[in-house]
Amino acid sequence: MEIIVPIRQVPDVALNIRVNEGKVVEDGVSFVISSWDETAIEGALQMTEELGGEVTLLGIGPERVSEALRKGLAMGAHKAIHVLYEEGQTDSFGYAKIMAKVMEGRNYDLILTGKQAQDTDAGLTASMLAEFLDLPQVTNIIRFSDLAVDGMTLYRKGDHGTEVIGIKLPAVVTVNDSLNEPRLASMRGIMMAKKKPMETLSPSDLGMGAEELGLQGSMTEVLKFEKPESRKEGERFEGDETETVPMAIQKLVSEAKLAV
Amino acid sequence: MGSTAGKNWTEEDEKLLLETIDKWVENEVKPIAREYDQEDKYPHELVESMKDLGLFGATISPEYGGMGLPASVYAKVIIKVASVWMAPSGIFNSHLIMASAIERCGTDEQKTNWLPKMASGEFRGGIALTEPNAGTDLQAILTRADRNEQGYLLNGTKMWITNSMYGNCLLVLAKTDLNAKPAHKGMSAFLCQKNEGYEVSKKLKKLGYRSIDSCELTLVDKQVSSDALLGGEEGRGLQQVLGGLELGRINVAARGAGIAEGALKMAVDYAQERETFGQPISQHQAVQLKLAKMATRVEASKLLVGSAANKFDSGERCDMEAGMAKYFASEAGVFCSQEAMRIFGGYSYSTEYEIERFYRDAMLMCIGEGTNELQQLIIAKQLLERNKG
Ligand SMILES: Cc1cc2nc3c(=O)[nH]c(=O)nc-3n(C[C@H](O)[C@H](O)[C@H](O)COP(=O)(O)OP(=O)(O)OC[C@H]3O[C@@H](n4cnc5c(N)ncnc54)[C@H](O)[C@@H]3O)c2cc1C
Repeated sequence: MEIIVPIRQVPDVALNIRVNEGKVVEDGVSFVISSWDETAIEGALQMTEELGGEVTLLGIGPERVSEALRKGLAMGAHKAIHVLYEEGQTDSFGYAKIMAKVMEGRNYDLILTGKQAQDTDAGLTASMLAEFLDLPQVTNIIRFSDLAVDGMTLYRKGDHGTEVIGIKLPAVVTVNDSLNEPRLASMRGIMMAKKKPMETLSPSDLGMGAEELGLQGSMTEVLKFEKPESRKEGERFEGDETETVPMAIQKLVSEAKLAV
Repeated sequence: MGSTAGKNWTEEDEKLLLETIDKWVENEVKPIAREYDQEDKYPHELVESMKDLGLFGATISPEYGGMGLPASVYAKVIIKVASVWMAPSGIFNSHLIMASAIERCGTDEQKTNWLPKMASGEFRGGIALTEPNAGTDLQAILTRADRNEQGYLLNGTKMWITNSMYGNCLLVLAKTDLNAKPAHKGMSAFLCQKNEGYEVSKKLKKLGYRSIDSCELTLVDKQVSSDALLGGEEGRGLQQVLGGLELGRINVAARGAGIAEGALKMAVDYAQERETFGQPISQHQAVQLKLAKMATRVEASKLLVGSAANKFDSGERCDMEAGMAKYFASEAGVFCSQEAMRIFGGYSYSTEYEIERFYRDAMLMCIGEGTNELQQLIIAKQLLERNKG
């Protein structure tokens, strides 16, 4: 089974992210693989471990994206494609277009990726990609079974419970992070990652012109980023609960206008 | 090792590895530390994940299936583990000291027979030097290896041997000539499998460094083949063993630095949570002075460990530097864990907090791998030798 896993590199949310003049300050920020995409890598590795075949990672972005790809290779993916892309702001539509170009002429049974990116939370790219490639798609899976090269059963977390869906391959599938616990990159994995093939492409290698890239190739534009206001300190009521609970309720009614 | 190791580890690899170690420590080591330490329970599941991560082959050369990690990166791994729970680092540390002795001094056959299996963690070892009556003064050991037709017959008792119960092999120091003068010329080291070369007679109960198997061994007429003699030559055992001590000291130094760092972190967190006289105790200057002293020693320890390790990696002689790092960082571990105990006040004595474990574990770093008294003698000796008047 040949699986392509598009991954996105995002700022590490464990660190303090600063916003300056409407832009995220990249200086001093460390970047990681978006967590849902890491889950997708793990899922793809498990599938190829069962059925054979290879996992190919796809990353789009500046030079630093190669670090994310190396990490995925160290986890066990077999090869990687890096579209070296410095165009700056690009929306899900723009990225999905580039991915669709990369897929042209490639052999794959499945495109597996995170259900959304950790930084934008848009959750649109995979669906648009499926549309461009005219492939079936299932989003937000929490489990898979009955694995075969031409199809499988997917368990999708839907609004009203788990949907059990049969799908024919090739297809685009996105994962929920409860699908698995991604493995750590072992030392052997890290050593071997360097020897694995990483193909670097530019948008022009893909036959894409300026009108298809960056803002021009996007359908939406982010005007600026605003830092969420930090939460105000709460109020503590100390003492016996027979006194503090009524006091708290009183406050909720008078200040927060809670209807009782 | 030293000179060949590490050439293939780039900065990017190092970053990836340390990220992996951070996650492993956070997800697998930290959650079990308190319970396992208190119940003196061996962390078998960590052994499995250490195998997966490749830790048993960390400093073994790639040609024998290891990772060829330079000492400088390896030390950072140890610091990270020890800053959460020092004990598990012993599972692969003592093992790697045995492996390094084989790689430095073994015959080609010994290297190919032992190292790949050690790198994968199939063989897990340690070193058996200390005896009930001899630790610092290793030339006073009584374990003997008498040559016979099948090889050597081992007899003696060993004490405090790490990894001897749950591991499966050890490098055993013994005397092949009881009358040699100086005594070290009659000492040899043997590669032994458990039960064939030695038997564990007792798992020792300990103040700290719990969960790890430190045991007493008995060797009664244990027959080993002549292939077991490290390097195939008698009389070199003490040098072979002491030759690994530079790296061994860097490792113990790293553990000390890790304990110091872990204790500091806990103290910094706690000092900001605990309030007295209407403010967090971190706002009292007496507590701030403690934190400043601790943080400075943590930083200094890490720098000393790093500089000794870099020297080791470049193939330079570093016994003095490794001794300094070991001496300073292990004392920093003791200092910081004690100061943290004071900052935690009464709660430091509660087994619900973890600082008491750091306090119990720290002292061992001053004793193992050459006591700190001995380190100071080595430092002074080197100092005088390098600066002859
Ligand atoms: C938990 C634990 C794990 C261990 N693991 C291992 C292991 O895996 N393998 C192994 O072989 N050993 C191991 N050891 C043993 C350890 O290495 C020894 O305890 C250590 O080397 C000290 O030896 P000793 O206990 O015999 O003390 P001694 O040698 O009896 O020393 C007692 C005191 O005298 C001082 N002293 C001794 N000689 C001198 C001198 N010439 N000048 C000044 N002061 C001196 C020492 O510094 C010390 O303060 C372990 C010990 C412990 C506690």
